[in-house]
Amino acid sequence: MSMLVTCPTCGRRPFTEFSFGGELRDVVSPDTASDFERVYLHDNAAGPQRERWFHLLGCRRWVTLTRDTGTNRVEA
Amino acid sequence: MPWLRLDGRRVEIHDGDTVAAAAFRAGVRTFTRSLKAHRRRGLYCGTGDCANCLVTVDGLPGERACVTPARDGMQVERETGWPSAERDALAINDRLHRFMPVGFYYKVFARPRWLWPVAERVIRRATGTGTLPPDAPTRRTPTRFVRVRTLVIGGGVAGLAAAATAAGEGSVVLADEAAPGARATDPAARDAIARLTAEARAAGAEILEQHAAIGIYEGPAAALLGPDELVEVEAEHVIVATGALEAHGVFPGNDLPGVWLGRGAARMTAIHGVTIGERVVVVANTEEGAHLSEALRATGATVTLVTGRVLEARGTRQVSSVTVLTPEGRRAFACDALVLSLGWAPRDTLLRMTAEPEVVGAGDVVRPGSTLAEAEASGRAAARGQADQPTEATSWPIAEHDGYVCVCEDVSMHDLERAWDEGWTSSEILKRYTTATMGPCQGALCSRHLAEHARAKGAAPAARGRTTARPPVRAPRLGDLIGGVHEQVERRTALHDRHVAAGARMDHSGVWLRPGTYGDVGEEIRVVRERVSVMDVSTLGKFLVAGVDARTLLDQVFPLDVGAIAPGRARYLLALDEAGYVMDDGLLAALGDGSYFLTSTSGGADRMEAWLRNWIDRLDLHVHLVNQTAQLGAINVAGPNARDLLATLTDDDLSRAAIPYPGHADIVVAGVPCRAIAVGFVGELSYELHHPRGRSEGLWDVLLAAGEPWDIRPHGLDALDVLRLEKGHVYLAQDTMPDDHPAKLGLRWAVASQKETFVGKRALERMDALPLERRLVGLRFDGAPQRGHPLAVDGAIVGRITSCAVSEAAGGPVGLGWVRAVDGAFPDQLTAGAVTATVSPTPFYDPEGMRLRA
Repeated sequence: MSMLVTCPTCGRRPFTEFSFGGELRDVVSPDTASDFERVYLHDNAAGPQRERWFHLLGCRRWVTLTRDTGTNRVEA
Repeated sequence: MPWLRLDGRRVEIHDGDTVAAAAFRAGVRTFTRSLKAHRRRGLYCGTGDCANCLVTVDGLPGERACVTPARDGMQVERETGWPSAERDALAINDRLHRFMPVGFYYKVFARPRWLWPVAERVIRRATGTGTLPPDAPTRRTPTRFVRVRTLVIGGGVAGLAAAATAAGEGSVVLADEAAPGARATDPAARDAIARLTAEARAAGAEILEQHAAIGIYEGPAAALLGPDELVEVEAEHVIVATGALEAHGVFPGNDLPGVWLGRGAARMTAIHGVTIGERVVVVANTEEGAHLSEALRATGATVTLVTGRVLEARGTRQVSSVTVLTPEGRRAFACDALVLSLGWAPRDTLLRMTAEPEVVGAGDVVRPGSTLAEAEASGRAAARGQADQPTEATSWPIAEHDGYVCVCEDVSMHDLERAWDEGWTSSEILKRYTTATMGPCQGALCSRHLAEHARAKGAAPAARGRTTARPPVRAPRLGDLIGGVHEQVERRTALHDRHVAAGARMDHSGVWLRPGTYGDVGEEIRVVRERVSVMDVSTLGKFLVAGVDARTLLDQVFPLDVGAIAPGRARYLLALDEAGYVMDDGLLAALGDGSYFLTSTSGGADRMEAWLRNWIDRLDLHVHLVNQTAQLGAINVAGPNARDLLATLTDDDLSRAAIPYPGHADIVVAGVPCRAIAVGFVGELSYELHHPRGRSEGLWDVLLAAGEPWDIRPHGLDALDVLRLEKGHVYLAQDTMPDDHPAKLGLRWAVASQKETFVGKRALERMDALPLERRLVGLRFDGAPQRGHPLAVDGAIVGRITSCAVSEAAGGPVGLGWVRAVDGAFPDQLTAGAVTATVSPTPFYDPEGMRLRA
């Protein structure tokens, strides 16, 4: 598998330089009940999904991008 | 004249010969024996597409004789058949074939059960191919990485035209596929190739000779295999111009030696000057086939050119007659070579491997049977973004009842029919049951026939497609597969050489190499407890957190009360994830200027940085986070005489008034600026000296020299494991599990629940409402326990020992372990085999912490 991720600092780089940070979710939830959903019940989309990637072996910056989980195609 | 040895026999090599050409000229007709029936197999495709001519070359098994250049002194062995490929006793299998239908080994040896291991051994031996000698040297193919605008795969007319045109737009790499196609034999094609090669080179395209793609991956990216390198290419555009080969003919006797695909026969004749037979029948449904018969006639052979469908070929050692259904009717011919040019089979595996729109085809692979001009136009159009869509020009000739569909795996029409009747009614399932398409050629010949068969049998639309194409297209060697794999990362601290010189046993601890022990663990422990010792703790994660929002960040992320840490003080820090589970731990020190110094575990440093940067980002805070892990070295000076030792090396105040516990101060030790942090992991008076990494060795040497009056010696990880256990300190990951919240670890005190918000707070509230189902407890044993041993109550397992040691300081064997609640209460007496474990409060040693506060 190969895939390129566009880092705003470093440009298009192989995904192996990044560590996966999961799908983009809210940072806070209004109450404890919805917090459970925020933390555990991910969308796990089959298709385009907003995600966070960390450029671990590069500039160490977080990138938010859209990846199609079916094809691994990444849009900035 | 140069020569090679084939099975010990001397074989002459003519200029430009492949191994196959030299061997064929010397009279070799049987190159391999087939996988199951041990039928004779000879040269068939002649272009490196099938697996009929796999031989062992200079000890390397599975080399394709038809595309391997012959070299003087080469050792070639045929690798199938017993005792030899020529005289193969296992050819009896061919007679027994009707008793060994497809999938027979799933059924026949299934009962009694003891039979299968015996049968398996026999079957494996009978079906084996080449052997890799156990003492074969390890080869690792060098790998390089290339990024280009356009990658062209295929060095034919279409590929070169594409490369020449694309080179005007940006960088181009062309892999020539090392697969001889039309170019080899047709003079017009050779001229076009020469002209386009010059044009592509002049335009700046890089041409990789003898490189073949083994797969196309998401990206798009491709792996190219060269004679002595693996090239990983990332490209914005990929043009696949791998051409086509002749359609595989399926009819009874189609696998006899002497049956050729047209271009293979053409290469033998035109390039190597080998006469493939005296009486040749050419069955040609293509224009190229008609030209081919002319070329064969020029070698002096008697050539019969017919069109139509082959009904049957006969022969024993090789083909001797063929029956063809021509437009004039059924006709039989005696022959010693049968050449098939039935139609075109695009080499489209790479194209079918990906759905990336940036990967397109050009030339024969999308328009089989193109003229040279059409192929060139197709290549140029693809380079301009107007690629041809794939078309399947040929319908697939399928025999009604017999003939080998998959030559590699010995799967006949009969087998497919039978599998269908057993209920395997889709192409993908037929593939898995019969193993058709699963041989070394990966379905290059037969994948269309399998799909066609499913279609002809009336399979549902979703069940009659061609089977999924996956890498590798060509068989890579083991050395190629490990070529791109890198050695494990290994980090060393600045003191590595000092540890090695002191005779330390260096252990892998995550990515770090750390001293396990310098020789005597018991003595290392005693030195810490009774005198003074040093330990290299440079591996700790070290972070400077500064900026106007530094405190806000730490307050929002961590469960401790950051505001309560006065400048000069430090606090134990837990890092919780959003589910409230303990992710890491460390220490947070408040510096005087509103910034903070944070340490994490050695293994957690990268994760801690990612974690904090994520929150800085998501909470939109103004924070400077500096990862100082590699910038700072750290040496822990620990033991009752630690202060006495340091006092000889510094003028700074080391008293509790200047450096409280837990707290820190900037001091200068033997001229080295240090942040001295008073911590208590080992439970003695200790100063963790964080200093510029470049000064580590000097500081270490000075400390050891100044410590001589106390008979100082360093301690390693083994001693540390016992020292911290005596204090009941938890090793994250060793003592914990991924779903541990602080209460389970007895670390609820490290959570400031009164805080309005921190990461994991809501999750902790949820879990606090539930009864605690298990917890980590201190244990005392009446015998020597083992780490990992289950803990039981009345024979029922309710826990596990996670750490244990025989401790002098604690007065016996102690440990930590998991205990589950039994009937709502936690047991305080358990057994670990013959050993009794009693739950005990921690710390086991100096429970009041008087020693570390000294």
